[in-house]
Amino acid sequence: MPVQFAAKRLGKELNKIQNGLPPGIELVSADNLEEWLLDIRVLDNNPLYLNDTYRLKFRFGQSYPIEPPEVVFVKQADRPIPIHPHIYSNGIICLDLLGQQGWSPVQSVESVCMSLQSMLTGNTKNERPPGDEEFVRANKQRPKDIEFYYHDNTV
Amino acid sequence: MDVFGDEAFNVPDSTDWLGTPLACLMPVEQAFRCHVCKDFYDSPMLTSCNHTFCSLCIRRCLSVDSKCPLCRATDQESKLRGNWALREAVEAFKNSRKVLLEFARAPPTTQAAPTGQAGPSSPSKRKATELEGPKEEDPETKRPRRSTRSTRARVAELTAAILQEEEETTFAADPDYVDQPPDDGLVACPICLTRMKEQQVDRHLDTSCPGSPQAASKRRPIPAQTSQPSTFPSFNTRLTSQVTTANQNQKPPERLPALAYSMLRDTALRKKLSELGLSTHGSRQLLEKRHKEWITLWNANCDSSRPKKRTELLRDLDEWERTVGHPSTAAGGGGGGQQGLGLMARAQATGAQIKDKEFDGKAWATRYGGSFGDLIKQARKGIKRQTLDGNGEKADTKGGGGGEDGKEDITPAELPTLQAREGESSAAPTPMDIVPPSSPPRPGQVDDADTEHDGQAPGKDAIAEDTAMREQVIPGTPDKERQWETSQQQQPPIPGDAQLSGMKKPNPETC
Repeated sequence: MPVQFAAKRLGKELNKIQNGLPPGIELVSADNLEEWLLDIRVLDNNPLYLNDTYRLKFRFGQSYPIEPPEVVFVKQADRPIPIHPHIYSNGIICLDLLGQQGWSPVQSVESVCMSLQSMLTGNTKNERPPGDEEFVRANKQRPKDIEFYYHDNTV
Repeated sequence: MDVFGDEAFNVPDSTDWLGTPLACLMPVEQAFRCHVCKDFYDSPMLTSCNHTFCSLCIRRCLSVDSKCPLCRATDQESKLRGNWALREAVEAFKNSRKVLLEFARAPPTTQAAPTGQAGPSSPSKRKATELEGPKEEDPETKRPRRSTRSTRARVAELTAAILQEEEETTFAADPDYVDQPPDDGLVACPICLTRMKEQQVDRHLDTSCPGSPQAASKRRPIPAQTSQPSTFPSFNTRLTSQVTTANQNQKPPERLPALAYSMLRDTALRKKLSELGLSTHGSRQLLEKRHKEWITLWNANCDSSRPKKRTELLRDLDEWERTVGHPSTAAGGGGGGQQGLGLMARAQATGAQIKDKEFDGKAWATRYGGSFGDLIKQARKGIKRQTLDGNGEKADTKGGGGGEDGKEDITPAELPTLQAREGESSAAPTPMDIVPPSSPPRPGQVDDADTEHDGQAPGKDAIAEDTAMREQVIPGTPDKERQWETSQQQQPPIPGDAQLSGMKKPNPETC
């Protein structure tokens, strides 16, 4: 159970989420204050993501929101991993917003979902990050331990 | 999701206003909530970039990353300034919130005669229909209801619309909501809680109030929130500000300065902690975290209008210790990759990893056992040589032979255990404490030892060696050891104990 600080904050977020989320974002489950699942859809007609829904897994640490949550896409039969030059095929997302440097405590589950949504919306490249195969095969680290180098400022 | 459905997790939130006729209060409430904790501002502080956060929130943020969470402008804890006007505003809003919300959710028709109504409709729905106007209700139900409703209720209903624009004004008129405090027409002194007439409070505060605000601070919020706000909102704000100033005049708690941990040695840090009355238990990293957390808690408390007592802060620290500070959950790098989301998990430096409680001492020992052994030998040789130089053979046989018997048995594998043990026996003075860090070299010492009973000297040397070994073990990283090694070699030979004290001299407590 996270420290009270985190629990309180998550409780408030959940409350808000249950009162409604922006279009294209849906809460799947939030059975505890450690791991939540949400579905996102890309709303415009981007052919890369048309008619697909993607599942996001949020994991919250005890220092949330001071520290970022761990956010990955999870693969399921009807929930593919979106293709994007910053999303590895194992669901790990390279986004500075989710890293130590880019994260800010004013962000929330909702704002992260919206950022990811817009990240997908704006993408035109039908490709995985460079070295995706190698990374997916070799990586044993948790997303937060990976030292990403955020080089692309266009996202 | 069900877990949170009910009371336990029914957190008050700005969305509470949605679906009530006072939905326009949602943005108002949002403006009173901190962006970090999403709770009402608690001791709001203004940053250099003019953003406001709870004192505790912004201090936590800045201590991790010296940037404003909203605009990423660089800022420092010392530059924070209290936003007292907002504090009062938040206080006033909080105090009136419950009443306002009840008012918005449950229009006072429930007590009206049941005749006209088929059943109790849900509050929000009811309210909504009322707002949309009476045209939706058919005259049959409308009429009896109207007539049976009390004047009071009708007044309340009429004012619902006005309330949307002038939130503060009317709710006090409805006696439904003032049932919490004893209905004696009196108010409680904000400090000693004695009940008295409203007009008497000022005078009482100036002259006869006996209670210390500190003692009362714990109890005060409860009556303050339930009693006064509902009856005399404006009066209450006045009182709040009075209490605020009273508390501040009484005892301005002093803020603690941040420490540059990299400049502090373990002993010095432990000393700082014990000076603060905190536990000196645990790894170096934990000590730093604990100290940091305490400073954050303490300084945030200094900003509060009702500072908590030290014991309460200690309890907060304890809670932190059990969760964030707890090594089992914080050991992220370790096996399983489970959780590992604590603050400590982030530490990636090798120096930090050895200090972790879950650290695999055995593997480490086999890996570096050789160099540990070498260093120990070297240290021993150094002592032997120096005693030899200074005092001739007698000292050598005594210091060297006896000392080795006592200590040579320690295998490298035991070293981490030794270290761990030291961490646990925090209360007892460690050998490091016994050797005064800055005690001047005592040239007479070895001569004294010379005349002493032979059996005692090895003990002394054992302590000395023990210290020397700890010196190597605790810093952990091979770099540090090498550094120590060279510094030892560069030292001019000083006999016996004096050498060890001398060794510590170049590193005073704080640099």
